[in-house]
Formats: sequence, C-alpha cells, structure tokens
Amino acid sequence: MATMSETPTTVLGPTLSRRQFIKAGGILVVGFSVAGPEILKADTAKPATFKNSLDPSLGSSWIEIHPDNTVLIRTGKSDFGQGSTFTAYRQIVAEELSVPFEAITTVIAGDTDRTPDGSGAFDFLGHGMPNIRKAAAYTHQALLDLASEKLGVPKDKLSVKDGIVSGGGKSISYGNLVKDQQLKLTIPVKGDLTSIGGLEIEGNPPMKPVSEYTIIGKSYKNSVITSKVRAKETWATDVRLPGMLHARVVHPKTLGSTLVSAGAVDKKKFPNSQIIVKGNLVGVVAPTEWEAIQAAEQVAGATKWTDWKGLPGNAKLYQHLREESDWTSAPVAKGDGNKGNVGTALASAHKKHTATYQLSYMKHAPIGPTMAVADVKSDGTVHIYTHNQNPQSLRGEIAMMLGTTLDLVIVHAYPGPGHYGRSNGGNAGAEDEAVLLSKAVGKPVRVQWMRADDMQWSTQSAAAFSDIQIALDEKGKIAAYQADHYMPAMQDDRPIGAVLAGLPTMSAPEPKPDSVTSTVNGIEDNWVYAPVPNVAELGHGTFQVGQKASPIAVGLRDHSMRTPGQFQQNYPRELAISEAAALAGADAIQFRIDHASEERAIGVLKAVHEASGWDTRPSPRPGAVSTGSSSLRGRGVSLMLRSGTYWAAVCEISVTPSTGAIKVEKYTLAVDPGIVVNPMQLKRQCEGGAVMGISHALFEEMMFNESGIITDDWSSYPIPSMSDIPEIKVVLLHNPKVGAYGGGSEAANALAAPAIAAALHDATGKMMRRLPMKPAYVLAALKA
Amino acid sequence: MLTLNVNGARHEVQAPDDTPLLYVLRNDLQLIGPQFGCGLAQCGACSVLVDGKEVRSCITTAGSVAGQEIVTLEGLPARWAKQKGLSADEANNTLHPVQRAWIEVQTPQCGFCQNGMMIKATELLESNPNPTLAQIKDAYTNSGPSPNLCRCGTYLAIIEAVQNAATIMAKGR
Repeated sequence: MATMSETPTTVLGPTLSRRQFIKAGGILVVGFSVAGPEILKADTAKPATFKNSLDPSLGSSWIEIHPDNTVLIRTGKSDFGQGSTFTAYRQIVAEELSVPFEAITTVIAGDTDRTPDGSGAFDFLGHGMPNIRKAAAYTHQALLDLASEKLGVPKDKLSVKDGIVSGGGKSISYGNLVKDQQLKLTIPVKGDLTSIGGLEIEGNPPMKPVSEYTIIGKSYKNSVITSKVRAKETWATDVRLPGMLHARVVHPKTLGSTLVSAGAVDKKKFPNSQIIVKGNLVGVVAPTEWEAIQAAEQVAGATKWTDWKGLPGNAKLYQHLREESDWTSAPVAKGDGNKGNVGTALASAHKKHTATYQLSYMKHAPIGPTMAVADVKSDGTVHIYTHNQNPQSLRGEIAMMLGTTLDLVIVHAYPGPGHYGRSNGGNAGAEDEAVLLSKAVGKPVRVQWMRADDMQWSTQSAAAFSDIQIALDEKGKIAAYQADHYMPAMQDDRPIGAVLAGLPTMSAPEPKPDSVTSTVNGIEDNWVYAPVPNVAELGHGTFQVGQKASPIAVGLRDHSMRTPGQFQQNYPRELAISEAAALAGADAIQFRIDHASEERAIGVLKAVHEASGWDTRPSPRPGAVSTGSSSLRGRGVSLMLRSGTYWAAVCEISVTPSTGAIKVEKYTLAVDPGIVVNPMQLKRQCEGGAVMGISHALFEEMMFNESGIITDDWSSYPIPSMSDIPEIKVVLLHNPKVGAYGGGSEAANALAAPAIAAALHDATGKMMRRLPMKPAYVLAALKA
Repeated sequence: MLTLNVNGARHEVQAPDDTPLLYVLRNDLQLIGPQFGCGLAQCGACSVLVDGKEVRSCITTAGSVAGQEIVTLEGLPARWAKQKGLSADEANNTLHPVQRAWIEVQTPQCGFCQNGMMIKATELLESNPNPTLAQIKDAYTNSGPSPNLCRCGTYLAIIEAVQNAATIMAKGR
C-alpha cells in the first residue's frame, strides 16, 4: 500500500533554537508560545512581505504546545459552516503530533492579527496538504529533537503516544519538554499574505504513515455547533461596540446610476439620524437600528439618481453573450487533457452530437444578508468585525481604499451565514461601506444590508454557455470531444462601497492571465475520460455584462460560488456525455466506465450504480413520452473530479409533462476523497451540497432587466424547502492508498444539474439544455 | 416604555411600540438566538415562541406582544426544565432535548437559520410528540408564514434531529 511515508521526505529549512524562559508584560511565556506579538516586534526581524503581526515563519505562530499538555492551533481560514477548522484540522494536527484530539483546546481562525497564513476559506484540505498539517509535522520533529536531547536517546529510537515521548526505557510529556523553555522553531514559508491563496508552508517534513492513523477517520463532533445551538457563540451579527451607530446604505437606483441629489433626513421624524454622502455612496446612520432603517427608507424615497439601461435583461442574455460580447480580448484557455486532432475526428464521425448548453446567473444568497461593524479610530487604526472568507485579502482592500498601510487595518473574524465563495477574494459587501461611514462620523458603525441589498447589490455566480461536439465511431465509442465554454469573468473582488465612493480599488476583471480576477475563462473541469483519443476543451472569456457600459463601472459583477467555473463546465460536459451514451444506444454509467481508465473514477461509478439500484439500459426508458398528466420517472448520472475527490451522482426524478414540474425523488452520491478524515462531517457536507445542487438545478435564476437585478427576496429567488428534499444516500469510499485528503464541500452542489437533466430525458425522451429547469422552461423543452 | 415577558423575566424596554420585536430582543435585551434573515417573514431565522407558537420576530411589532410569553432559543432549557419540574440545579445543567438532538446528530452547517429550525421543532414536538416524516416536512413547509429556509441544505439533518429529540423527550429527561 502506498502511504505518505513512502514519499521522499526532507526537512527543508526548519531550525530549532532555544533560550531560557522570558517574561513578557508580566506574563510568563513558555513552551512554543514565543510568538506573542510584543515579543516578535522586539525580537524578530520580520520579512517585509509578510506584513503580519504573527511571523508565519515561526512554528509557534501556527501551533503552541503548552506546559499543561494542551495545544492551540491557528489558521487564517475562517470557518464557513463546514466546521473543518474545528474537526478535520484538529484531527490532522492531533494525528501528526500524536496527541489526543481533545488536547487541542483552542482553535483560532481568521483574525488577521492572530493567525499566520491568510488565504480564502475554501479547499480546507488543500489537495491533502493543508498548511496546518505541515506545521504540525515540523513541530513534531522539533519535539522529537528536544526529547532526544533531554532523554539522551537517539531520535530514531523515540516514539510518541498521547503526547508522551518514550524511548530507551525513559519517557517525558510534551508539556514537560516545553516547560520553562523559550523555544523558537523556524519553518519555511512563501506566498503573499493578502492574496487569495495566502501563504504556503514549504518543504516536506516527515509525516505519520497513514497505516498508523488512530484519530483521522473518526467522527468527532464540531465544537462550534454546540456553542451555536446553545446561543453561546458570538456571531458577527452580535458585535456591539461602545458608542456604535447603526447604518443602512441607500444603494443607487440602477447598476449604472449616478447620484443627482441625496434626500434630506426628515429631522422631525428621525431627529437622531444623519446622512453621509461620498460620491455615489449614500449612508444613513442613527443610534438605534429601527430609526436607521426607517430614516434610510425615507431618505431613499427623496434621493434622485440618473436612469440607466445598459443590460440585456434575462430574455436577451444568451443572445447578448453569443453575439454582442467580446470573446477575442482574452486569450483562449486550453484544457490539460487536450490531445489529438479533434477536427479530423469530428469530420469523419460515424455519429455526431452537437448542442449548446446554458446556465443562468445565480446568487450566493446567504440566509442572512451581509453586515459588518467598522471602527476607524482617530489614530488611524481600522478595526473591522465581520464574517469573511478571506480576512487578509479584505485587509489589503481596505488599506488600498483608504490609502493607508496594511499594519493599521485589523480584521476580526466571526461566524455568520455561509455565503459560499462570495468573500473568498476579501469582501462580501458592507465591510468597506462600514469603514467609510465610521471614518465619516468618527464612531464605530454597523452596516447591515437588507434582504434586497443582498440580492441586488452583491456579486453573482456568472452565467455561461457551452458548445459541445462529440464524434462517435462505428463501435459507439467517443472518437472526439470538443467543448467551447463561454463565460464572463467570474471573480470581481472590488469592494462595492469603494467603487460607489470613487475610491481606489483593484481593477475590474481584465484580460490578464495568471490572475484570479481575470477575464480569461480557465478550464476548471478536470478531464476524466482519458481513453478518448481526441480532446479539445477551450475556455473563452470576456468582460462582465454591463460593467464597462455602466457609468459607475458596476453592471453585473460576478464572483466565484461553490464549485466555481467547474460547475459551468461540468454541467454541459456531463449532460453531453449522457446524450452521447443515448446516441450510442449505451447505458449512461457503463458508457462512462468504458471511457474512463482511472480506477477511482470507475470506483465511484460502480459504487453509485450499486447504491442507487441502477438498472443497466440505454436512455430514454422504454415507453418514454413527453405529454400527458401522468407522473413519469427517469434517472441520470454525473461524474466529477474536484480537489482530489472523485464524485458520482445518480438522480431519480418524477416529472409531469403537462405541468413541467420536476421532483427529485432520490439522490445517491458516491464520494472517494482518498482518506476520509471525519465521516460524519463529510456526510453532512455532502448532504448539504446535494440539496444546494437540487436548488441550482431546479430553482435558481437571477432575474434582471435592462437596469438592474429584479430578484430581491426569497419569493423572487426561491430555494428548496424541506418538502422538496428527496431521499439522499451518501456512500463514502475511504481510500487510504491515495495517501491524501480530498475536499468535500464543493462538487456535491454541481452534480445534480446534469444528472437531473439526463433523468428528464430518460423519462420523456426530450433533452433540456438550460438551467434552471423551472416548470415553464421544462414545458417549452417538452414541446420543442 | 414597553414591558415584555421574555424567557420568564419581565423587561422594561425604551423602544417605540412599532419596533420589530427582533431588534428589541437583539439590541435591547442582548438575546442573540434569533437572527435577521430577511425582515419579510420569508425564512424563519428570526423565529421565537409567543405563547407557544412560532412567530417571526422580524415583522412582529414589540408592542403587539407586550404581556405575552416570549421564548427565545436562550429560553428553551428553562422551558423544558419547567415543563419537567426539574430542580434549579438540574435546570442549570440541562439543554432542551431539541438542542441536545441538534448537537447529537450534528445538524448545522453555518447554523444561521438553525435558531428558527429549533424553535419550529419545539413548537411541533409540544403539540405532536411523535411526528411522522410527512408531519415534520409539513410543519417546516406549511405551518408558518413561509417555509423555514436553510441555504446550506441541512433539511435531512433537521429531520433526523427532530426524530432524535422526540426520542429524548419521550424518555422525559
């Protein structure tokens, strides 16, 4: 069995030094906790690029071992509800250190002044090698070095269990090893703290062999669930600072309006309210939340904006994208799996499938609208209290907006409603507005977006369309696959308040390769059908719709959302593969197996086949009809490789042709992430993703007209309720020989759409190539 | 001046009668269980019990519930203790079975909507101690002003938790 111990291991760079214990501010600093900010400032010449109050090159900035044998860990990744920092991260560190899970008593996540590495809160297991695992491995080696010296036993004769190092008939606890010592472990780090990726620990410290795992693989509970259920957790929404004012923002009338005149506060009704105008940013602050809400409504009614009509509207979206968008300015991206001569193979196809697939704009739609508290102090320091997926990036954006230095901006991270990628580049909305309003009034200000603000002034998941061509040979095998994926830029990280106020921001997405905020449409969907001889996957990108035309440079701003880019490419691919299977008269799962060579891809397909009770036959089912008021049943399958995890899904649906209503009856997922770190938490993540996937497939479409977004609440942007939920079956395939942990939260939300569309075809014989599959659109597809 | 009866205690609050109850609970009484989700009674994140019924505090004026018995997430343990006649010591060391179940089956993802989900479970189980799957789905979909919405998709875990809570409550402790 391949394990991590068989990979070449070298310890690059780490050095261990030791001094006697010192006193700092009257507090005895012991163990590895050298990295108190005060000590660092006096003691360590920080690399200028890190700009952090914690030095990431010190082991103690990541992990502290305390004399009482407890352990503290720090990560720049905020928790967004999947709980990985409180479960998987603790398990991974406990495993590498060989301490009990419960020994890790403190997890510090997200705060920019208390965590070392930054980066977005996504991909927590980082292709099996998160920073925290390497930090733990380096710390483990340092502890063994110490023990070897203290016990007089060679390092290779030592072993550790439950935090006790033993060898040569002697033993000592980690706590006693670090007691009364001032320890300094240096570890190699690279990267840019405030970028989307943050910092990365380098080198290859020796890791514990997978075969010796005792903590990874168990279903530990998520401690933060307990505090949330008990109403003991402080959410971002709960932060109240002394003297804090409540604010609401009066956003422009359209996505291209400029301010003509701001309305005045009716001081008779709202004596304590104050209006603040900066460029096109209009805010209303008041001592109480209810007064702020009412005064903002009154001001909004009296405020005049220019009109603007620069968007295509839903009805003309795909026409606009295909015919009126500039697809030539960005270089065409090519898939890693591209090979052969697709043109020749398509020209000589025995049978050919050609079709276009369309996906709507979707909202992240957190269940609570975004909010932030900001406190711009008279000494120039800026404190922001919020729920954010990348506090370090936010810090950089705020410093740029204010023209101040990074060290003056501190972001405090708290739990909040998940928003599924919207702030992984630093902002979700409201943070920068709170800063500007606080600066204007000289007091802490809490900006809470209302539901409509969150629907209409946040970013969205980009719409997309794809042209797919598949050639089949005489044996019904795929001879060629070509995909041309078209999508406007999917990541605009400009803070909206700064844009409205006319203050400095990073540029809007433009054709610059190697940037996450680029108009280049990279190929995100990993190719999984290796035996196909001719493959061409091409990504075509363009500017965001309406952004250049908007006088305020806004238009439809996009942002990555769960399974970003890959959803937009995997839906057309997987639906087209199901269509090709039908064209070949083959079963859709067997057809995929016949075109795969990777054992893990075949493994999830076979597992989902068995778990779903799939009957092997071609689609559509015998007797499929597209008319009538009887409920028909069908099933479809989809496959994806994302972040080191293989996924296969089967959706079984019922559909009534006369109404176009689809109901998902059963959703089966097979998941091979390599090593399953925490089965219970992974299962919950998969279930949640599956439900969101049904939502994307059947419900979600951001509606907009020529001026702006008209979707403004849960009635105009529906998501599933409990009655829409099918039976969901999750099959976890623990696959230790992979030797790494794959991601678990994403992908599940993308797999439903192509499987449900294939199921509709199976039931009715009609193919629908557009999302969402709302009844009205289904009716149109069935009549086509 | 408003007088509210929240979680078994009387509170005098300086707020206009037309203030939505949610803002009084959160800003004046520092009760953080109910959350602001939509302000439109469309999601249930702000739910509280008023005389045992689930109410959306974002559209309910504080003045309209003065004198009624208001219970928030924070008040669920005491509600259970009172119903079961537990001693003060026991009451301080207990959670409502709904809360215990929510932890046991690890229901929340982000957890922002779960206040309302637990309030709805409490309302349901007090009137129907052993609901069927269909009754649970019906309660969460049709019994309130809107369905209780979860964006993270935890509905299956909520169903498991309601069933788990029913089991705990049947044991009576």
